[in-house]
Amino acid sequence: MSSVYDRIGGEAAVDKAVDIFYRKVLADDRVNEYFDGVDMDKQANKQKAFLTMVFGGPNNYTGMDMREGHKHLVARGLNDSHVDAIIELLGGTLADLGAAPSDIQEVADIANSVRDDVLDR
Amino acid sequence: MTVIVFDDQKIELESGQTVLSALLDRGYDIPNSCQAGACQTCMMQVVEGELPEKSQSGLKDTLKAQGYFLACSCEPQTPLSIKVSQAADLRSQATVVGHDCLGADVLRLRIKPTGTFDFYSGQYLTVWKSETVGRSYSIASVAKRDDYVELHIRRIKDGVVSNWLHDEVKVGDELQIQSATGSCFYIPGTPEQNILLAGTGTGLAPLLGIASDALHQGHSGDIHLIHGALTVDDLYLHQLLIDMASQHSNFNYYASVLKVEQVLPPVTTESLQGTVLAVADDPADWKVYLCGSPEIVGQLKKAIFLAGASMKNIYTDPFISAHSS
Repeated sequence: MSSVYDRIGGEAAVDKAVDIFYRKVLADDRVNEYFDGVDMDKQANKQKAFLTMVFGGPNNYTGMDMREGHKHLVARGLNDSHVDAIIELLGGTLADLGAAPSDIQEVADIANSVRDDVLDR
Repeated sequence: MTVIVFDDQKIELESGQTVLSALLDRGYDIPNSCQAGACQTCMMQVVEGELPEKSQSGLKDTLKAQGYFLACSCEPQTPLSIKVSQAADLRSQATVVGHDCLGADVLRLRIKPTGTFDFYSGQYLTVWKSETVGRSYSIASVAKRDDYVELHIRRIKDGVVSNWLHDEVKVGDELQIQSATGSCFYIPGTPEQNILLAGTGTGLAPLLGIASDALHQGHSGDIHLIHGALTVDDLYLHQLLIDMASQHSNFNYYASVLKVEQVLPPVTTESLQGTVLAVADDPADWKVYLCGSPEIVGQLKKAIFLAGASMKNIYTDPFISAHSS
């Protein structure tokens, strides 16, 4: 069975998706405080790994990574509303790339599956 | 806690402490400058043990293979035995062939390396004042065009190396330099692509190098260079850039000056960021080079990315000042 990753065009499409997604989070006042002032190249690399994972592509992401990587943000107040916003922006990114609604739902489901890890619950 | 061995001494590192910081704490005079993994002044060599990947980030493969690493970026997780690098392996000689003052506080230093010296215009090299004191400067000249390497050196208040280069070094002197490094340079292959170059202060040196290299290699797309300055006196290559623009139809020069009495193109009172966004109004497929003050480079990077430039097309060289110790 092919993944969303394959259907949208593999790694080249993820590179495009990172640019679109990163622009959306920087422009969104609900979440941009968590993205401002960080090293943009490192952040883009992390987002590429994250998007590859939620698109069902080849990745080494683990629940532990998600937990450890967001602990300092949970301490700063990261909560469900932020995860909801990110999933919404993720859907917008895929829509911009011309993905089908069923693919957008599939990606939202994968992103939702790591919600408790991200929020350290 | 990790233990390193240096100079036959066992040295204990606190959690999160770098090798450089531990050695400096113990009183060892280890060469260093930016302490941020960029200038490569603090390069050391491993004798035994496993290096963290980050400590070799940015080094050439040949240096990695010989066990060189950056002490300022090395937080070892396992015991490590290390030594100072063999300076002779890394350093070479160069003769000063040009020494001119440009504007109020910038020295244009031209040097001729002894033997082969490989570099890309826009990369930086370290000039050593002594065994342990060195500073990095970006290259403004073009390898295939010029028979010298050009550096722009701004005089820094109390700067040990910049004041020495300004006041004591003269034409004919021999200098010790270290191999060029950095990833901010012109990449051939897409000659029709538009290029934006923007920066402050002597960030102009790599920008000039990259623009000259592109023109020399027959770049046909538009090249826009924007120099941001406080006053017109800081536009230390104003006439040269105006001349370059009149000689090359695809090269454009703008000067964004904060405090200015008379506004005549290419001078504008629009902010550097405003000028960048006005010149590159649709930068989706542009290559972008940003050099100079780290704060401004960071702001411009975010602004041009939000305006549509792709992350992979943005190259930056934030000038990190030397740490005083």
